[in-house]
Amino acid sequence: MKMKLRMRALSALLCLLMIFSLGCTGCAELLALLPDMEVPGDGAPASVADVDLDEIPPFTTEPYVTVNGNQPKFEEDELVVESYEFYSELDSLGRCGMTVACIGRDLMPTEERGSIGSVKPSGWQTVKYDIVDGKYLYNRCHLIGFQLTGENANTKNLITGTRYLNIEGMLPFENMVADYIKETGNHVLYRVTPVYDGNNLVAHGVQMEGWSVEDNGEGICFNVYCYNNQPGIVIDYATGNSALSEDGLPQTPAVPEGSGGESEESKPNYVLNTNTKKFHDPDCGSVKSMSESSRKDYFGEREALISEGYEPCGSCKP
Amino acid sequence: MKLIVCLDDKGGMAFNRRRQSRDRLLCEDVVRTAGGATLWMHPYSVPLFESLTGDIKACEDYLDAAGKQDVCFCERETVGAYAARIDTVVVYRWNRRYPGDVFFDLDVGAAPWRCVEIGEFVGSSHEKITKEVYVK
Repeated sequence: MKMKLRMRALSALLCLLMIFSLGCTGCAELLALLPDMEVPGDGAPASVADVDLDEIPPFTTEPYVTVNGNQPKFEEDELVVESYEFYSELDSLGRCGMTVACIGRDLMPTEERGSIGSVKPSGWQTVKYDIVDGKYLYNRCHLIGFQLTGENANTKNLITGTRYLNIEGMLPFENMVADYIKETGNHVLYRVTPVYDGNNLVAHGVQMEGWSVEDNGEGICFNVYCYNNQPGIVIDYATGNSALSEDGLPQTPAVPEGSGGESEESKPNYVLNTNTKKFHDPDCGSVKSMSESSRKDYFGEREALISEGYEPCGSCKP
Repeated sequence: MKLIVCLDDKGGMAFNRRRQSRDRLLCEDVVRTAGGATLWMHPYSVPLFESLTGDIKACEDYLDAAGKQDVCFCERETVGAYAARIDTVVVYRWNRRYPGDVFFDLDVGAAPWRCVEIGEFVGSSHEKITKEVYVK
């Protein structure tokens, strides 16, 4: 964490030097990049996406569509090779705005992700449907994924997003960027902007842009719009209310949870028994009888567990 | 000819004219897999192999140029049109999900293909890369 803070300070200094050297030309853009610092007055960064919802085709079967010919719209002076990260302040409705980071290996997490169940993004509801992978319609979606900058329960980086947005829409891009950085050591300029229709509390979708800096976009280059939709579910984006659509999908009623309930994001993917080296589905009966000293919640991927020597429970077959 | 491809969980190969992912140790394994045969590829792929030694040749139409005993490393091209000339397919699986707009168009999961070898290794930046070899 100390290293991360040091990099933030270095990045801020770099930005200030750039402002000074440019005679304040393009100050607004550079101020917008000052990481984790107060941005005074009109210098506050725009948190509005460069996307016109009228030009986005209706959601059908694809989790994302390309925008601007798949070319991101970064300004030249944003293309620095120093790591930084910026998260917009919440607006008056408590909604997240634009997030941007120049991601290098130094920003990537070195510790396992913790719980984010305490965060309630705008429009948040805990609701389950049988037709949703993992049951929970909404995830607390990181705008800039945890695997990229290690931001865990940062309220400025978490929106109410469908499971489909999280897994089918955003995750593939996060994976691609993370693996590119790990392999090359290069930086990727990465911007994620939630797009709201009017005063809706739940985003219609998110715009994601990425550009690898050192190789001038040869490795990473994209500009996409990911839909905050869930096949088979109709969402009222003003409130977050939802219902099964009437297109022939299973008509199982939604099961609203208590206001303090956990989402898929706060629920671990697996529960480990560190004594037997077995891993279980969180709902497995064996979990209830597991001693606290042997139990460990796990938020990572199945393959990683197996590579660490863990075996799936023969009963719940996770 | 022997074809080598890298695929994500959905059979994707590339997105926006760029490979989905890359791994230094995987490239070393590609050269080992080629053995002494000529390893053909598109000029786009050449930088991945710059530090490696092998009989590497590159041209835009490498799938046409490759001979019966040669090996082709394919990152962004569909290969269905070359199916009759391909007798072996080596698939490296990233075991990750990436965005894709070019997908592998040879169904090696169905006859006449059969898997004759499967293994896995840790890459330079990937936790687990699976290698599968299919022959007709």
